[in-house]
Amino acid sequence: MELSTIKDAFDRVTKKQKLSCSKTQEAIDQIRQEIESVLDTLQSANNTDHELDYKTVLNELKASFLLIAPLSQMEGTQKELNVALTKYGKLLEKHFNPDISKAYRNIDIDRHTLNQIIANHFYHQGLFEIGDHFMSVVGEPESAAIMKFPFVEMYQILEAMQNQNLEPALNWASTNGDKLAQSGSDIVLKLHSMQFVKVLQNGSREEALHYARMHLSPFATSHMTDIQKLMGCLLWTGKLDRSPYHALLSPSNWDKLAEELKRQFCNLLGQSYNSPLSVTVAAGVQVLPPLLKFMNVMAGKKNEWQSMNQLPVPVELDREFQFHSIFVCPVSKEQATEDNPPMLMSCGHVLCKQSILKMSKNSTKVFKCPYCPFDIDAAQCKQLYF
Amino acid sequence: MEMDSLPNGNNTSGTPISATATANPAQPPSSNLPQLTESLKLEHQFLRVPFEYYKKTLRANHRAVEKEMSAVISGVNEAAATDLSPDDAVNHLNSLVSRLQGLKRKLEEGSRAEHLQAQKCRVRLDHLESADAENMSEWNNTRMKRILVDYMLRMSYYDTAVKLAESSNLQDLVDIDVFQEAKKVIDALQNKDVAPALAWCADNKSRLKKSKSKLEFQLRLQEFIELVRAQNNLRAITYARKYLAPWGATHMKELQRVIATLAFKRDTECATYKVLFEAKQWDYLVDQFKQEFCKLYGMTLEPLLNIYLQAGLSALKTPYCYEDDCTKEDPLSQEAFRTLAMPLPYSKQHHSKLVCYITKELMDTENPPQVLPNGYVYSTKALEEMAKKNNGTIICPRTGLVCSYTELVKAYIS
Repeated sequence: MELSTIKDAFDRVTKKQKLSCSKTQEAIDQIRQEIESVLDTLQSANNTDHELDYKTVLNELKASFLLIAPLSQMEGTQKELNVALTKYGKLLEKHFNPDISKAYRNIDIDRHTLNQIIANHFYHQGLFEIGDHFMSVVGEPESAAIMKFPFVEMYQILEAMQNQNLEPALNWASTNGDKLAQSGSDIVLKLHSMQFVKVLQNGSREEALHYARMHLSPFATSHMTDIQKLMGCLLWTGKLDRSPYHALLSPSNWDKLAEELKRQFCNLLGQSYNSPLSVTVAAGVQVLPPLLKFMNVMAGKKNEWQSMNQLPVPVELDREFQFHSIFVCPVSKEQATEDNPPMLMSCGHVLCKQSILKMSKNSTKVFKCPYCPFDIDAAQCKQLYF
Repeated sequence: MEMDSLPNGNNTSGTPISATATANPAQPPSSNLPQLTESLKLEHQFLRVPFEYYKKTLRANHRAVEKEMSAVISGVNEAAATDLSPDDAVNHLNSLVSRLQGLKRKLEEGSRAEHLQAQKCRVRLDHLESADAENMSEWNNTRMKRILVDYMLRMSYYDTAVKLAESSNLQDLVDIDVFQEAKKVIDALQNKDVAPALAWCADNKSRLKKSKSKLEFQLRLQEFIELVRAQNNLRAITYARKYLAPWGATHMKELQRVIATLAFKRDTECATYKVLFEAKQWDYLVDQFKQEFCKLYGMTLEPLLNIYLQAGLSALKTPYCYEDDCTKEDPLSQEAFRTLAMPLPYSKQHHSKLVCYITKELMDTENPPQVLPNGYVYSTKALEEMAKKNNGTIICPRTGLVCSYTELVKAYIS
């Protein structure tokens, strides 16, 4: 985007503002000087008892004001400032989307639901104080506690890990060992490995070996290579940083472990790793530009938009927003549904059922795959489940 | 060096592919420049609001200076026109000088305020410029907070908004100062006091007129109604003559209807007029004011959060979101999000995007999908891993079907 043009335009605004300001000051000073000089004349006339016609002096002053014309002096710079302001305003309108609510469907969003989502977001992000404050302002302090509690524990564990203290994490892992194993997570091993390295780093081979016997041996069968590496470390006690295993000491391992822990913790809570509110808003940021473009073109179809069952434009979302398999038939360009499922043809290419039915004239004819020279028999096609 | 140690550290701890696929493969999103540019274009309000505020301050300051200057000049003119004693003339001129001194001080103060607001405009431009592929996640985080502050300000949760902005040092990136102005008016309206709202209308007279706003008219009608409610009929009529009559040309129907309350009185059962005496008229005025306020500052009428949320929900909404095994990472797996998404359209995609059920990784040419004899499809990576562990045996995690790795067929997705 032409942000530099916009910045230049704004610099022009501030420049003109300064100019206008100094011009105004000048005008004020000028008037003051005129009045003061008249005052001087009056004063000196008083002192010398010299006869002076006040009226003439004041009229002269009046005439000099007319000559200086301070207001019209200011007007010039003010005009320039106004031009710069208008130009900048127009640039904003031109380079940005002046109304992003054009693609907004006017429906009532349930305030209570939305506030719950926001509070959950705050707790999820560890912003407990703000979450509490929000919930009390919204008038739902009761549900705050239930929502907050598990996240408080999680952030306590993560905070301890920041200080390289694995105690709370290991406690949590041992209480939830079964559930973690069930979900196929190896976070318990990772935590113990980290603790093992930490013990070893402190220099006590004896203690490390003891720790390994206690906590690592149960994983021997399932994670042989990992354990072997860790045991290898024992040979380099005291000089681990120069060993082939120095990567185990990398501080980034702590960050990764913390991330993994957060992931597993959220998973056990039945929550997502990323705040769902953040994810949804981020997806919204991606989809709004094409939607707005469509709205601009289809300005007349505003009413249809209010009742559409599917977005009028295809959206290209980043990988991180792809939670489900979407199959689009390359022939009909339609999304697969339960009634029109994806089918695997004998050549390995995939089409939707209706496309196959059409091309085979209701399974009565062999047809050619649109992507390779294979002859396809509709009866041989197999439904796929992604 | 740092980059080198990353994959190493990963290998040593050995990440087997977990069955419940909690892993969101931590591939950094490729820097998508056009997309970034497009998303920045949505930030009109972000730049517009402080600019409108700045403009308003400039105008107000300039008007004050102009007024004072003309007052001084006409002060001299008057003095020249009347017969003043010498002492009076000196005194008069002295008072004009001190007035000018005061004006200069005011000008300096005003200029400082203008400078601060210009600074704010610039900070925002810089903030937009600072967005690039490297700091995207932090930048997005800030955007989320900005959007939330906007929501709270519009919902009148000012204290929480301030708290959130302060905790993340976002004061320059949100419009708390602008909303302070609205807060005063809204608080007063909620206390059934129209004075601050009318003052606001007077302040922004020319712009409201340009947009054909009838907020002032509506406020005046309400004041009239209050007089009728208090059975202060004579005052009501005087009031109507003075403040309502000028709107007759454009809003005769409404005017007539409200004037008719004089005949019906506050305890009327006639529905047309009864509603005018109801307390919710005040809420309506608050809404009206909010709309005019947002329009004046170039804000969207709805909170940004609602707009982004709605678009995002539509983008994510697929029929699969409502299935029982919907992954927890999908916001639409949660009841609250499903509720909000209910009246919204489904997403639409033009290209197949297949996600492996096991690893949740994308299945593409690098990691092609393979079909089990029962038609269930998984990624090559996941199946290879499974085969390695189980001596070439594959167990379908969804149906329990057991088959051999050699029975798999590749599927070609175009």
